[in-house]
Amino acid sequence: MEGAEAAALDARILAAIAAYALDAHGFDRLACDIFAHQLRANAPYAAFARSRGITPNRLPQTAAEIPAVPAAAFKQAVLSTVGPAAAAIWFQTSGTTAANAGRHYFATTELYEAALLAGFDRALLPDGARLRYLLLVPDARKAPHSSLGFMMDRVAAARGDGRDERFIDGDSFDAPAFVRALDAAVADGVAVCIAATAFALVAALEALDARGSRYVLPPGSRVMETGGFKGRARVVERAELYAAVGDRLGIPTSAIVAEYGMTELSSQYYDSFESRFGTRRYKTWPPWLRPLVVDPHGVPVAPGVVGAIRHIDCANRSSVVAIETEDLGALAPGGLLLLGRERGAELRGCSLDAEDLAARA
Amino acid sequence: MPKTSLRALSAAAIIAAIDAAAARWSNADFPPRVRVTSAIQTRLGYSTPVVEYALDRLFFSLRREALEAAIAHELGSVAALDGPVERPGRPAGFARGVDRVVIVASDTTIGVALVPALYALAAKCDVLVKDRSDALVGAFFDSLVEERPQFATAAVTRAWTGGEDPRESAVLAAADVVAAFGSDAALRAIRAQLRPDARFIPYGHRASIGYVDTAQVRAARRAALLDGIAADALLYDGDGCLSLHALFVGGDAAAAAAFTADLAAAFERASVEFPPGEGEPQRAASAAAYRNLGAFRAAGGRGAVYAPAGESATIVFDPPRDEPPPFLPRVLPVFPVADPAEAIAYVRAHQLPIEALGVDDTHAPQALQFAVAVGAVRIARLGEMQAPPAGGHHGGAPRIADFVRWIDRE
Repeated sequence: MEGAEAAALDARILAAIAAYALDAHGFDRLACDIFAHQLRANAPYAAFARSRGITPNRLPQTAAEIPAVPAAAFKQAVLSTVGPAAAAIWFQTSGTTAANAGRHYFATTELYEAALLAGFDRALLPDGARLRYLLLVPDARKAPHSSLGFMMDRVAAARGDGRDERFIDGDSFDAPAFVRALDAAVADGVAVCIAATAFALVAALEALDARGSRYVLPPGSRVMETGGFKGRARVVERAELYAAVGDRLGIPTSAIVAEYGMTELSSQYYDSFESRFGTRRYKTWPPWLRPLVVDPHGVPVAPGVVGAIRHIDCANRSSVVAIETEDLGALAPGGLLLLGRERGAELRGCSLDAEDLAARA
Repeated sequence: MPKTSLRALSAAAIIAAIDAAAARWSNADFPPRVRVTSAIQTRLGYSTPVVEYALDRLFFSLRREALEAAIAHELGSVAALDGPVERPGRPAGFARGVDRVVIVASDTTIGVALVPALYALAAKCDVLVKDRSDALVGAFFDSLVEERPQFATAAVTRAWTGGEDPRESAVLAAADVVAAFGSDAALRAIRAQLRPDARFIPYGHRASIGYVDTAQVRAARRAALLDGIAADALLYDGDGCLSLHALFVGGDAAAAAAFTADLAAAFERASVEFPPGEGEPQRAASAAAYRNLGAFRAAGGRGAVYAPAGESATIVFDPPRDEPPPFLPRVLPVFPVADPAEAIAYVRAHQLPIEALGVDDTHAPQALQFAVAVGAVRIARLGEMQAPPAGGHHGGAPRIADFVRWIDRE
């Protein structure tokens, strides 16, 4: 059971989420207060902060000054203000095996749920539509430590028409059930939200292709796509994927919204509304989350300059408020531009690399 | 491809032409080399000293004595390339070069395609090099033509385009021997296009490791050893298959920690000689994340992290054992181990394909045992890992034997 300090912080964060507003000064103050709390309650983070010159007498004054923990550190330590036994839930971070995966512990699901629903509402449900959720993401009932499964389970329960369905079980995709669900949605005239990892979406489209099936799903239907193809042999260009969605499901590209999130975060980024109609998509973020783009020395770079993305997520109150990633991006007037390594990019040398090694496994 | 015009020359004459061209290319002011140096820098982002070092290493090694010694070792004599040579107790043998050799370098290692190409030319084969760029190989072939016009049709380059290309498929399908450098996927795709009786010489992506037992290091040797390790790790920003990707330090843990701390100072020195190139942003970000993860672990009392030369290089002491080495530019994980067996266990656990094993004493019996255990094809002295002798095997394969078919005269 956490103390009054944690409760007071949670109340401030929930208020920001409910208002969907937090100005720059308020963000800095909240993030720094959360960090100060984590210094007291999260020993591994405190030790790391001390190694970066942070002391109780020398605390960050802005969110950008908060030392960011590399995402992989979740595999190295329990980064939580509560012990594992007291955690309300934990999600498993990525790892090549379960043995070297990390865990993100949460003192409560309240912040997480509030943050995910508020973000999802703005990004995918600005019309307040009550949709039927067809979930091509891990099934929360069978994969209780999947953050994506948990997230979409909560969204479907809170915002769905009560007839949500799940089609992923481990690595298998139940294509016949998915087809039946599409048929039912068309017959019922109910708009759907297909929430899928990019890889699962490809599998679904291939299944429809194999059947020669084409749908024009009811107006208002949409897709939330997430993830990518990391660790997968099959890679499809995003534009190609979205075109195939239009072709097979009758959902326009502008109704496909890519989510960018991490198990190590409590909040999510989504494609901005404006960029859904263009060729280049920009991510927007909720007021309690802020991206920084930094150079290899950890120094923030100017807008337009490519660097690694650091996240300051105030909803991560019971773990780590600042997370450093290897994801590349650049801040632009339209939002955060996510950049991946270009396929076919010329890598130097003949050395083995991590991708080679993973491909051999 | 034309039938080889080189058959009109003796092997000795071909080797002499290669030697003469290499001698010209050994001069850093030789205009074609100046142009190539600039082109390589532009393309790969390496610093000038690194490119100059690579070209020096390459052309100083491509000399008549080294080429002849390697050929004589593998074929019995250089003359065997010209016609039957009597051999005591065996039929006379003619090491006749095959007609068509294709060398595919989908990697960007400096000059990697040139050495096998020259051995194939010495065997009087027609050689087509499909390279990422013809800046180096093509320019060197031009120098060969200046030495002997017969090279004009025998030594040809084609720029790498990647992907499916019917013309490339036709060339591969007609080849007698194909030597290829690249990822497993690239090698697989190339192999699938060859004739059933064609020889395929694959050079896949590999890693190299080093082992040091601090108790065995002589005090007088220590500084040179540290500098050598730093050079092995930093040259080519660690991008080569002969780069030092992981160092295992055996013996007392405190001594290993002290050795690693001294290694950081050596990295600082080596970074002056081999400054970093322009890094690819994704790999630079990954290197920074690895360094910061090391800092996180160190803050928790596990291991240490060093970021010498303005964080342009990283040494992580005692990184997690359940992860493979990071294979990131100018990043060296240092694993303290009780003995070689612990290092071997790590390599096996991560199924690392090992090219070279760097040690202080290459003649120590345990070095050979270690190399055999991890599947290394080369045991090199630390500090010389990235300087393979031209007369040695390449990737465990012979230099010229694969480019000939023997005709025995009984």
